[in-house]
Amino acid sequence: MQLAFFFDQTRCTGCYTCVVACKDWHDVPAGPASWMRVATIERGKYPHPFVAFLSTPCYHCDEPACVPACPVDAISKRHQDGIVVVNGDACLGKDTCQLCLDACPYQAPQFGAEDNAKMQKCDLCLERWSEGKKPVCVEGCPMRALDAGPIDEMEAKYGKIHEAEGLKYDERLHPSVIYKPKPRVSLASY
Amino acid sequence: MIENERVITTTCAPHCGGGCLLKAHVKDGVITRIETDDDQDDVQLRACMRGRSWRQRIYHPDRLKHPMKRVGPRGSGRFERITWDKALDTIAAELKRTVDTYGPASIVHWVSGGDQAALHDGWRRMSRIFCMMGGYTRPWGLHSYEGGIFAELTCFGMGFTAHTRDDLLNSKLIIMWGWNPAVTIQDTNTAWYLAQAKEHGTKIISIDPRFTASASAFAHHWIPIRPGTDAAALIAMANVMVTENLQEQAFLDKFTIGFDAFKDYILGDEDGVAKTPEWAEAITGIPTDTIRKLAREYATTKPAALITGIGPGRTAYGEQYHRAAIVLAAMTGNIGKSGGSCGGKSWGPHALGRMGSGPKIPPNKVDDTVPNPEGKLPNRRYYIWGHGIINVFRLTDAFIKGKSGGYPADYRFLWVTNANPLNQWPNTNKTVEAFNKLDFIVTEEHFMTPTARYADIVLPTTTFFERTDVTMSASCPVSYAYRREIIEPVGESRAPMDFATDLANRLGFTDYNDKTDEEWVDVILQKSPLPDVEGFKERGFQKIDLPEPSVPFRAQIADPENNPFYTPSGKIEVHSQMIADMNLPHCPPIPKYIEPWESPSDPLAERYPLQLITTHTGRRAHTQFDNVPWLRELDPHAIRINRIDAEARGIKDSDAVKVFNDRGTMIIPAKIVETIMPGVVDLPQGAWYYPDDNGVDRGGCANVLTIDRPSPGGALPSNTALVQVERA
Repeated sequence: MQLAFFFDQTRCTGCYTCVVACKDWHDVPAGPASWMRVATIERGKYPHPFVAFLSTPCYHCDEPACVPACPVDAISKRHQDGIVVVNGDACLGKDTCQLCLDACPYQAPQFGAEDNAKMQKCDLCLERWSEGKKPVCVEGCPMRALDAGPIDEMEAKYGKIHEAEGLKYDERLHPSVIYKPKPRVSLASY
Repeated sequence: MIENERVITTTCAPHCGGGCLLKAHVKDGVITRIETDDDQDDVQLRACMRGRSWRQRIYHPDRLKHPMKRVGPRGSGRFERITWDKALDTIAAELKRTVDTYGPASIVHWVSGGDQAALHDGWRRMSRIFCMMGGYTRPWGLHSYEGGIFAELTCFGMGFTAHTRDDLLNSKLIIMWGWNPAVTIQDTNTAWYLAQAKEHGTKIISIDPRFTASASAFAHHWIPIRPGTDAAALIAMANVMVTENLQEQAFLDKFTIGFDAFKDYILGDEDGVAKTPEWAEAITGIPTDTIRKLAREYATTKPAALITGIGPGRTAYGEQYHRAAIVLAAMTGNIGKSGGSCGGKSWGPHALGRMGSGPKIPPNKVDDTVPNPEGKLPNRRYYIWGHGIINVFRLTDAFIKGKSGGYPADYRFLWVTNANPLNQWPNTNKTVEAFNKLDFIVTEEHFMTPTARYADIVLPTTTFFERTDVTMSASCPVSYAYRREIIEPVGESRAPMDFATDLANRLGFTDYNDKTDEEWVDVILQKSPLPDVEGFKERGFQKIDLPEPSVPFRAQIADPENNPFYTPSGKIEVHSQMIADMNLPHCPPIPKYIEPWESPSDPLAERYPLQLITTHTGRRAHTQFDNVPWLRELDPHAIRINRIDAEARGIKDSDAVKVFNDRGTMIIPAKIVETIMPGVVDLPQGAWYYPDDNGVDRGGCANVLTIDRPSPGGALPSNTALVQVERA
């Protein structure tokens, strides 16, 4: 079984609630490490700008590039739910390695500001699932733009679009994410 | 869930118009995590990033943990720790001395909405003390939307006119006029209802100098407009409707008075200038065809909600914008109808909960000394912050000049509650001068804010997590929250009612407070409609679902004979005799476009060619949360400038720039964007004022550049200011 994210890009207002809820829940301090990020995509020129937002967690790829990249096998993919997890104790640290970050096209591996910080990243709130809860970002989104669940359920509910403004689907890795993408059109003059 | 962990429900006490549910995880007396509403049976009230960040505010290393006494010059930030006894003794002695020497009118209390609740909220508890002492000076007026209040009180006679947001789903057309609820919230779930309306096929149009987050997510069209010219665009739309006979004349005949006078004005019969789209294009920058099309679409799509944000009302003559919008809503027959909107200000929910209040306030005798304050509508006192004798925006001037400036008193003592006036009153450098005129300033705070740095005594208060209170929360659904004490007070911080009681005792008012907080909560809840108070307190929260969306003036439209509007005529007053009788300069009895001061055609524009607007960012609630690290890193403070204006000045993205006018100067980073009109710059308000040794603000406090001149109807013109931007 593979858990997957769904993101409705048409609803996202770039409010960052998912980012802060995640930092609070996982006790990640302010600084460079952020398990959930929100990218702002701006195109077009005044008076026809185009703005979209992309929530960016770890996509828990079907074939995660980070797992084979890690020289000490600190990263693994769970069989039961497909969540990609990291063993921080085993990680060589950012001053030594960072091969996982080099391998990931989505910058999901995160490192704190401290010396030789160990890799940390989105674990899809794996301990919440056992309590019947979805990830904290999903349950917190004020726009109800996020969802998560088994990938077949997500596809049945939301379709099979795997790309969105700001995200290119990597055919090798198969990121576990489904989108309702924002159409790339600047608003027409009225 | 972690062992020994409890999860306790409360609600956020922000200053955004939301009322979101928070679930605090508590272990060993410490909040470890915060979740939000997970109600499976009713609409969830999900908190935003501010609500989710409270842990970093409660446990911030800078949190004030002891009373502090100023030992250096005002603004120096030099304070020493003192005991509560010493602090309250000092304050009591200073209060007595001030009243004995200068009279009660020399005491001023400034309270804002920073920490709203029924009991510990600032106004009632401090008002009671000051009134027991013989009264105090309180200002009337609201920074946020005084222009909107003026319009609603003159047109409708009441000021709670926003539909519950679920009614957006009944609109065929939504016009977001200067309205950005994705950031400004204005009730939990407003943006979520807008998203659903769009998905249901409702057309949404944004009129705004900025391509906002709301425009980006919800709008089908964006119409940029020059700041301060909104009334001109609306009046030209009225011209189109009348010229093309699109107005609902039967509605106007039945429910309004004075439309003919307005018609004379828009057609040019009054002054020889027809208020055509061509007339408006030159003023607003909106092409004539766009104005025509918008007028036609609004007039012919039913029902349509013209939702007028309160930002455009915070301009010179901002009350004209709000009055014009109400007239348009009447012309299109959208008042009192589901899916419509009365055109009143975007914030001020018609659906409100009901509960009692804390300790009673004796009459404020100082109010009686000025029976008819200048510029204040006779019915203004019936709306919030309507008592008082000085317009809020005159306070700095009043502090400086006192009686010699024609004000009712000389001002000596300022008590600040739930507010940061040095930062948030217009014209910061003048406010500094005004604060330096005062003998004594007390503020209740969580942090050493810019205001606190100018205070003589700073009292550390609890957050709502650290005391017991009750409040009305969101309005869709109407909600009530019991905010129990979840953790012990941080440091020596004390609950406001607690130290107020101690202060009252020192002043000899031993009957000030005869109840515990818990007893007060029960008294307050006796007047609520909650069916099961004990169950409510156990759960901590109660939502009351309305049978249908709350729509103001439904009864007035359905049965006007028995339900007149609350105006002197009983009708919607397009022409207001109340305004005419006040005889205010530049405040006509029908809505008109009046060119603002500091407009682009002002000679001042040669030196200061850019129009400044001071908007909201989602990572602060005004000045609150500005120091929260999780939020600061997400939206670094900067002045937003269009690429065209930046290139003309040789400014690159992230460059430090000097922003200045005759009132002040700051140096902050520039952010180059395509999402703002050329000629307009946007500085989100609420960043903390940090002047350097030369008086140049390095914090980027927007009010360093704004003017402390109220509009005739009382609006705060914080979006009317010309500035220049240069590379620093």
